Amino acid sequence: MGEYIVRRLIYGVLVLFIMVTFVFVVMRAVPGDVVTLQLADSGATEEQIQALETELGLDKSMIAQLGDWLTGAFQGDLGNSLWSGLPVTEIIGDRLPVTLQLSLMSIVLAILIGIPVGVISAVKHNTFIDHLLRITSVGGLSIPNFWLGLILLTGFALVFNWIPPLGYQSFIENPVVNVQQMILPAICLAITLSASIVRMTRSAVLEVLHSDFIRTIRSKGAKERVVIYKHALRNSLVSVITLIGLQVGYLLGGTVVLESIFSLPGLGSLIFETVSARDYPVVQASVLIFGAMFLLVNLFVDVMYGWVDPRIRNS
Amino acid sequence: MSQVQIESEIPIKKHLATRTRLLRVKNQCIRFISMQKIGVISALFILLVIAVAILAPVIAPYDPVAQNREAFLSAPTMQHLMGTDDLGRDVFSRIIYGARISLLVGFATVIISIILGTIIGMISGFFGGIVDMVIQRIMDSIMAIPALILALFIAALLGPAVQNVIIALVIIEIPRFARIVRGEMMRIRETNYVEASRSVGANSLRIIMKHGLPNMMAPIIVMASLAFGQTIIAEASLSFLGIGTPPPNSSWGLMLSNASRYMESAPWLVFFPGLALSLLVLAFNLLGDALRDFLDPKLSS
Repeated sequence: MGEYIVRRLIYGVLVLFIMVTFVFVVMRAVPGDVVTLQLADSGATEEQIQALETELGLDKSMIAQLGDWLTGAFQGDLGNSLWSGLPVTEIIGDRLPVTLQLSLMSIVLAILIGIPVGVISAVKHNTFIDHLLRITSVGGLSIPNFWLGLILLTGFALVFNWIPPLGYQSFIENPVVNVQQMILPAICLAITLSASIVRMTRSAVLEVLHSDFIRTIRSKGAKERVVIYKHALRNSLVSVITLIGLQVGYLLGGTVVLESIFSLPGLGSLIFETVSARDYPVVQASVLIFGAMFLLVNLFVDVMYGWVDPRIRNS
Repeated sequence: MSQVQIESEIPIKKHLATRTRLLRVKNQCIRFISMQKIGVISALFILLVIAVAILAPVIAPYDPVAQNREAFLSAPTMQHLMGTDDLGRDVFSRIIYGARISLLVGFATVIISIILGTIIGMISGFFGGIVDMVIQRIMDSIMAIPALILALFIAALLGPAVQNVIIALVIIEIPRFARIVRGEMMRIRETNYVEASRSVGANSLRIIMKHGLPNMMAPIIVMASLAFGQTIIAEASLSFLGIGTPPPNSSWGLMLSNASRYMESAPWLVFFPGLALSLLVLAFNLLGDALRDFLDPKLSS
């Protein structure tokens, strides 16, 4: 297992390296650069432009810049913002917790809704309730989460005359305000995720319920509740965990739009703000962090398999 | 069996083979219609939306960009079925024209991604070895960034324009198609009939075209339908953020972005474009599910 994890991590670093190089090159290759943006409308002379380029370290060749940045990145130094001059690690450190909290809240909510509903749908297989739940879950998959966000905001404002408190506060500063700010976007992200969990749980539980070992357990006289919760559900967990791993990409992508609607200062809105400002180091670092989160979650999911299903662990 | 006929040099037999194939397609369609009611309804709905989009100038009661200062932020009435926005533009007409953007981006993205993804996946799966390894590392790297983040990055860099949205979405969709095609290709490469054609001297390209492509149609069609829904949502999300379709075009995402400023005073502006978007995505998702059940019973529950 240890060797497997190490191999996956090395591979992950390789993938992240290709990814960051791509971002690095593409950002500098397309029209529009940070120096022109910063000196726009100021009528700067050629000398001033060159001075700024030298100051920001952009006068070197692209390969030299990439080399410098990567060397720094391996030592934990992600450079400084080209606009504010602040260390990128500090900026990311401020933004990352928001996105992490939002993602975690959505995953927890999605599991709390998705698994029970999926089990009910499977147990009531082919009844009216099952059809209703299946239609609802396909519907949940099809609703764009940012529309859901707007609808919830509008609904709460019109019906309860309530809007989430303005001005972001972290959970440590003020848990009550923080949860009020986070709960609506978390629900929006959770609904789509729980819809796919419902579908996955339903088919996984159904498959297990029709297998031979469940027939054996039933014939021993086990209670139906024990059959479902102890055996069927446990055996379905592998596929549900896989699904969550696969959906993390969707979840992280969704945070961008929802952070923008609910004015949350997260990593997603950071990328959005800094790409257009061509703040190269900040964008590179944000993409790197998103990629790393995605790869780590998927590694974690694969390790979890073995923990849930001993058959995979031993093979 | 039928391969023998298709490979034959005699024109009459070739003609017969084409006819048999047409007949098979017809039978498949009849079976789909009788077995997958929801899928058929979804397909009809999609066709309806396509028709509305094409006939937009005929159907839309107003010019989608015409401003009417007499009636801005008007609630739904008989004159304006879905109300008007802050510039007095008719929401119903704008939604009809908005279908054009969604479908255009959807079709362009899915078709270009299928073509490029299939070519890349086939090369990767057929040749294997170092070619496969290099291609796969690149595909993995693209897929290691959450799709919408990558699309946002590319679209924001290129600037707001419909073709840039398509470029961004094609880049995120290619690996998904390439992966399916590569997997199928590797599976097919090992089958007896490919070995048989190789032993009678067929070259690589011929093997790919004759045996590879037809066998991959099913998974590609299913993937295309599901990718279509995702693409439409992604276009709307980018337009919502202001880096997708530029104004004054009537993209549904753009309409929602504009509506978010009038949530309390004009909630219908938030409601209708999102409903149109959700229904179209729902239809593609249901069609994708139905096609999967029909074409690949192994995958369904």
